[in-house]
Amino acid sequence: MKKLLLAIIFTNSLMSELVIEITQGTEDPFKVALVQFGGNVEISEELSQIIKGDLKRSGEFNVFDENNLLSLPSNESEIVFNDFRILNIDFLIMGKVIEDGMNISVEYQVYDIKKASKARATTVFGIPNKNRQLAHYISDGIYEEITGIKGIASTKILYVTEDKIFNLVVADADGSNEQVLLKSAEPIISPAWSPDSKKVAYVSFETGMAKVYVQDIASGRREIAIENTSQISSPAWSPDGKFLSLTMYQDGNAEIYILNLKNKNLTRLTNHYSIDTESTWSPKGSKIIFTSGRSGSPQLYEINLRKFNARPKRITFDGNYNAKGSYLPSNEGFVFVHRSDKSFQIAMKYFDENFVRPLTEAQLDESPSISPNGNVIVYATKDEGMGLLSGVTLSGAKFKLPAKKGAVREPAWSGFLR
Amino acid sequence: MLILRNKFNFLIVIIFLSSCSSMNITEEKVYSEGVKTVEASSMSENINYDNKAMFANATVYFEFDKSNLTSKSIQTLKSAVNALNENSSIKISLAGHADERGTREYNLALGQRRAETVADYFVLNGISSSRITVKSYGEERPKEFGQNEESFAKNRRVEIN
Repeated sequence: MKKLLLAIIFTNSLMSELVIEITQGTEDPFKVALVQFGGNVEISEELSQIIKGDLKRSGEFNVFDENNLLSLPSNESEIVFNDFRILNIDFLIMGKVIEDGMNISVEYQVYDIKKASKARATTVFGIPNKNRQLAHYISDGIYEEITGIKGIASTKILYVTEDKIFNLVVADADGSNEQVLLKSAEPIISPAWSPDSKKVAYVSFETGMAKVYVQDIASGRREIAIENTSQISSPAWSPDGKFLSLTMYQDGNAEIYILNLKNKNLTRLTNHYSIDTESTWSPKGSKIIFTSGRSGSPQLYEINLRKFNARPKRITFDGNYNAKGSYLPSNEGFVFVHRSDKSFQIAMKYFDENFVRPLTEAQLDESPSISPNGNVIVYATKDEGMGLLSGVTLSGAKFKLPAKKGAVREPAWSGFLR
Repeated sequence: MLILRNKFNFLIVIIFLSSCSSMNITEEKVYSEGVKTVEASSMSENINYDNKAMFANATVYFEFDKSNLTSKSIQTLKSAVNALNENSSIKISLAGHADERGTREYNLALGQRRAETVADYFVLNGISSSRITVKSYGEERPKEFGQNEESFAKNRRVEIN
């Protein structure tokens, strides 16, 4: 068994170098042509590869290969709009790499083919040896110009890997640029970004018991969220970053508390003999969704924090397992883990609808985390017993983020960083 | 028109909207912060089990999403109670576990609930609660790695040590 597992890990690590597999795109993607940028050829090739990957992964773009274009303009005066119009291309992207010693910047333009006009001209100033970041900024500018929605190529994802030891890892949204935040011989679960994306809270079993820690990403400085003999888990930051909701087991049973991070005051939120856990905050911080077993099976409940002594309101009714809910950034609905027949899937529900919309169809999907623009959900799934991350967009595009090494799980998407 | 936005004190975006068309002309700076790796020193207790009566070591199993004791579990626990009564110096640790299905935090709570159920059984049968420690590993420490009911059933357990 162990040998077999190792073989799978090895194959994965060979095959998955930065490969993000798009398993299904949207039905009506924007058609764009990206002409290789002028300037340093090597840098330009590197950048355009990353930008193309970012755009494709969003599931909303069909990026034309240069070989399939009728003309390759190198500046604005050379653009023959008809050459692109014939191919039904919606937008043309051109640019130039400018080197100034170690510093690299890029000037790029987005042309609207139908209007035969320039829609955007942007200069991005990079930092030395951070060309991937530079490319992600360009991708996000292009995405925002064309879709009207903020892009997420420059955001990051936290996740946990298990490869003999447990690692809490931060990486770019495309899975590259992995950096380890915490190594531990004991399990790590439930990582959560602070709203400013400078800190993470997580559960570590390093003392032999689940405890919540808060760690500063840049300095590595970390502290236990609250000194208590009880097991503590499931941290979630309030949108203003001032509070952490968490699950404590003071009387042996899982109950949700709100911790004031400044004065360490604790307020108890739930009081029921069944399990109450997995709290998350609404975008404005006025409500909390949590999982409770009070009906006899795990279901999602919502509690209004602005109302004194408000009773939790049940918000899921389909099936006997609905757990780990989180609000869409638009506050129009929530994403959660839903059991359908024998399989556990990621599903969503809009508050003004009374039915569940399934988003995935594997057997053991869990830990959904929503991108800050609300368009993509990354989640943990299993392929032949191996944990890996997958993604699905609300418009139906799907992609896989394969493990580079060992099993991957517990993804958490950062806020906007650009 | 000039819009100046300062985010995180690092990124300055200047947007000039040209007066004659709707074209966006923008400038931005890439921002990147360092990452520091921390190593958690494992403080997991290493109990020496040698001088513990072996009879008290046992595992009891549970149904999916359930924490009530089965008749088979009660049989197992009865002999553990006897072992504990015979040697009043033994302390026990109860570790609850869940199978991998469902969410990790709910499973952590479920594992805790299972361990608490076993603790309650011991206390009801005259074992002092001061001799018992309770914790949960949820689905994080499976005994079996298969994705089938057989493996799942072996992972839904409380280990008594």
